Formats: sequence, structure tokens, C-alpha cells
Amino acid sequence: MSSETVNLVATMKRADRRNNTQKLVIMSVLALLAAALYMLIDLDFSNTRFLRFALKLRTPKLIVMMITSFAIGGASIVFQSIINNNVVTPCLLGMNSLYTAIHTAVVFFAGAGSVLAINANLSFAVDLILMGIVATTIYSYLFKKTNHNILYVLLIGTVLTSFFGSIQSTMTRVMDPNDYDALLATLVASFNNINSEIIVSSLITLVLIIIVLRKEIMLLDVLTLGKNQAINLGVDYDKCIRKLLLGVTLCIAVATAMVGPISFLGLIVANLSRQLLKTYRHSQLVLGAGLFGMIILIGGQMLVERVFVYSIPVSVFITVGGGIYFLYLLLANKK
Amino acid sequence: MRIRNLLKQYGGKKVVDDVSFEIHKGKVTSLIGPNGAGKSTIMSMISRLIAADAGAIEVEGKSLKDWQSRELSKHLAILTQSNNIQMKLTVRELIAFGRFPHSCGRNTKEDEERIDRAIAYMELEEFQDCFIDELSGGQRQRAFIAMVIAQDTEYVLLDEPTNNLDIYYATNMMKILRRLCDELGKTVILVLHEINYAAFYSDYICAFKNGQIAKYGTVHEVITKENLAEIYRVDFEIMEIEGRPLSIYY
Repeated sequence: MSSETVNLVATMKRADRRNNTQKLVIMSVLALLAAALYMLIDLDFSNTRFLRFALKLRTPKLIVMMITSFAIGGASIVFQSIINNNVVTPCLLGMNSLYTAIHTAVVFFAGAGSVLAINANLSFAVDLILMGIVATTIYSYLFKKTNHNILYVLLIGTVLTSFFGSIQSTMTRVMDPNDYDALLATLVASFNNINSEIIVSSLITLVLIIIVLRKEIMLLDVLTLGKNQAINLGVDYDKCIRKLLLGVTLCIAVATAMVGPISFLGLIVANLSRQLLKTYRHSQLVLGAGLFGMIILIGGQMLVERVFVYSIPVSVFITVGGGIYFLYLLLANKK
Repeated sequence: MRIRNLLKQYGGKKVVDDVSFEIHKGKVTSLIGPNGAGKSTIMSMISRLIAADAGAIEVEGKSLKDWQSRELSKHLAILTQSNNIQMKLTVRELIAFGRFPHSCGRNTKEDEERIDRAIAYMELEEFQDCFIDELSGGQRQRAFIAMVIAQDTEYVLLDEPTNNLDIYYATNMMKILRRLCDELGKTVILVLHEINYAAFYSDYICAFKNGQIAKYGTVHEVITKENLAEIYRVDFEIMEIEGRPLSIYY
């Protein structure tokens, strides 16, 4: 490369970079626009009773979609940085299957009549604690044993996904039918059937995660340089990774509890954010992933509600689109 | 830097067995030896990337365990072989990370000046806004050295810095390391496979065999026909070029 072309490339790159703020502003506007549209579409302002009913229906859904976007987007970006690979997400390694299995196990052992199953917030708290302990243990052990070898991690992750799934379905089969009936209501959460009782506790959980992990979040940029470089620059690597992993599992638990498993959303938003912003700065990447999540979820939900009249759930679109995108990423990465 | 009775085992096999030596300040020291001699393992322990099973490493008279990681990273920098970065990172941003131990991510004007100087020292001005993954192997290696320079540590540790480089870039790399010592007064410690690079560019050589020190001393003390034949189990011829003992083997 001659020095002139290098300089030209360099100026282009610099211009690219300066636009990141601009890109994020445009995305925020789009996301807010989608949110506003979702709230206001087909509203009849002359009929106050209808208006109140529509808002009561839409507001929690919108809030849940926003929380989910940022929980999954943030968790996926952080997880990818921890494991230093861009095609893996926590859901691909079975974290949401694990959550479903834990949730089922709690009802299975405590019984549907117990306070743990009836009180949504208490059940959520128990799930979170169990998930935090079990997931952090399993996944940090997995990373350590495979020495962060991505192929092994993916392989074991895929096995774990079906393993947790099998455990969960075994429990539901031997379960008392009444218990199962009670369980089903919270188990098959989706965007059409959100678990709105836990909105407040979810928000509190997410805020707490950010506060407790603020130091580790600041270190994310350095962690992406890899283990050796991070240690070289004075990061207490193992402790930092463990704490961040705990944060990731809790974020996934929150999202799964509210809307059920959506496997490919994290993959899509994290990679779109990385492709668009081309930066290592996690403040921008996480924000970008969250905003992409909002645009996709809210836009998709609008399509589902208005065009397809609830015949297809939004997670189907995301799974189909995400699957194709995943293949594309794998093949493009190979070059 | 003083290393005392260092021990490391993998599955009952002693990879590093009771190794003690002292690194001379402000000099270039090369660790050489056949595969599996334990030189890279020792380097990883010196740079706290892996923990020793027994023994102690003292930096500035203080045991490695007693150092705070952040504080130590202002005194000791390590560059390993695999630097696989998945992020979109420009050369300048990478070098700026070298200031992290000093600035905790908030670079001041002084930090920026040091980054500029590191870039200029490694002649990377025209590449500074290119992404790391667009560079050639040699250029990338230079960017990492610049990062180490920006980190501004007394000790600079490198694990096989000439690996995967062609003759031109490898020779350049060795000259740069020599300059780091001569011009910037750094203590350079490196693991090398090429005996002649070690002989030509270092002050001291520490040769390992089977996890133990086979020979340690100045270049002339270590690079002799008898020593090398014993360490590598191959016949050597030694030639004196520019006052350095270079070896030929076949």
C-alpha cells in the first residue's frame, strides 16, 4: 500500500469514527419513533375507555420490550467480549434453556401451591439466585476447562442446551398436571403473553447489576485485548470475568423470565451493532445493541399485531432471520 | 529481578525444576533452549500470566505475589506470541491501551504525548488510524511493541517476538529490541528460538534444558561449541562475526 492510499484509508476511517455519535443519535430517533408509533397506532382519542384499555395493554408490553432489548443486547456484547468471539451468544450456549429448567425445577420441587410459585416476584427472585449460582459455576468451569477454545465451548454449549431442555421436559412429564398447568402460564411467556408482574423487580435487578459491576464494566474495553494483554495491563482477570459472567447470566434470566427464550436476538443485535459502529468502545456497542433490539422487537411486534394479526409470533421472525444471519456470520468469518 | 527456586508441574511432570537466576538490569537477556525446555513457561511465570507452584520471583526487591497487579503493570510489560484481537481497533487505539495502567482509561495530555512518541519511535505515523487486522504481521508486531513502549515499564518481556516473521521483519524486530535497551534503558528479556539472533543482539544468554538451567552467562560464555552440542544434541560450528559468536548447524 502506498502511503497516499494509506492516508486516504486513514481519513476515511477517521470520518467513519466521528460519525458514531451521529449513527447512535439516528438509531435512538428510530427506536423512539418505533416506540411512539407502537403506542399511538390506531388509537381512538375520542373514546376514553377504549383509549385507557389500549394504553393499559400496550404500555407494559413496550416497557418489557425496551428492558429485554437492553438486557439481551448488553449481555450478548459483554459475553462476546469475555469469550473473545463474535459469533457466540449466551443463548446459543443454553443459558435461557438453563433458566427455563431452573424455573420448572422450582415449581416441581416446591409445588404449584407453594408461595414460591404463586408470588411472581418471589419466584423470580429465587430463579435469579439459583440461575446466578448455577450458570456462573457451569460456564466459568466450562471456559476454564476448554481454555476459552471457542469450538469446544460451542460444542459443549449446544449439548448443554439440549441437556437442560431434556431435564426440563422430563420434569414437566412427571409433574402433577395441576402444577404443570400453573407452570405453563409463566413458562410459555412470549411477546404476546408477557410476564408483566415482574417489570419493577426486573428493572431494579438490572440497575443493581450495573451499580455492582460498574468497575468491571469500565474494564471491558481492556478485556477485549485478550487474557494475556489484560493481565499485562494490570487487570485481575479471573475475578473480573467471573463477575461479568454473573451479570450476563442475570440479564439473560431477566429477559427470559419476561418474554421467554428468544435465541437469536442477542446474536443479531450484537453483531449489527459491531458491524455498524466498528469500535471497541463498549459504551457505544451496548447502546447500539440495545437500540437495534428496540427497533427489531418493537417493529416486529407491530408487524405481528397489525399485518399478521397475531398469527405468527415475533420470535419466529427473529429465529428465522437470526438463523440465516448466523450462517452468514460463520461463513463470512471463515474468509 | 531475581528468580529463586522456581517450580512448575503439569500432571506430575516437572516442566520447570528448581530454577534460580538473576536478570541484569538495563541489559538484553535471551532465554534459549530446545522445545519443551521450559523457557516459555518461565517467561509466563515471570510475567504473572501463570502462577508458579513453588519458588519466588522478586521485582525491585518485592515478591511478585506482593505486588498489586495494576502497580506491577507500570514496571513490567509482557508481549506474548498470540495476540488475537477480534475487535475493530486502530493502531493508535491499541497503543493508547499501553497507558491504561497509568491513566485507568482516561488519557491526559501527557498520556497522548507519550502515545505520539511511541508511534513516532516505531515509525507508525502513517498507519496510526488503520485497523489492526488490516496490517501485515510485521507491522502488527511493531504496533504491539509501540504499545509496550507507551506502557513505559522498566522491564520488557517478549515471548518469541520473531515468531511468524520473515527474515527482514525478524531482523528489524531484534534491532528494535536492542534500541529499546540502548536508547531507552529498558531491561529486555526474551524467549528466542534462533540462537544467532540471541548471540548477536543480547548481552546475556540463559540456556535451558529439561526444565533446568544448562548455562547462564554472557554471550561468549554460553555460545561455545561444547555447550551448544550438549544442549541441543547437534554438532555446531562457531564463527566469530563482528565480535559475536555465531553458530552454524546442519
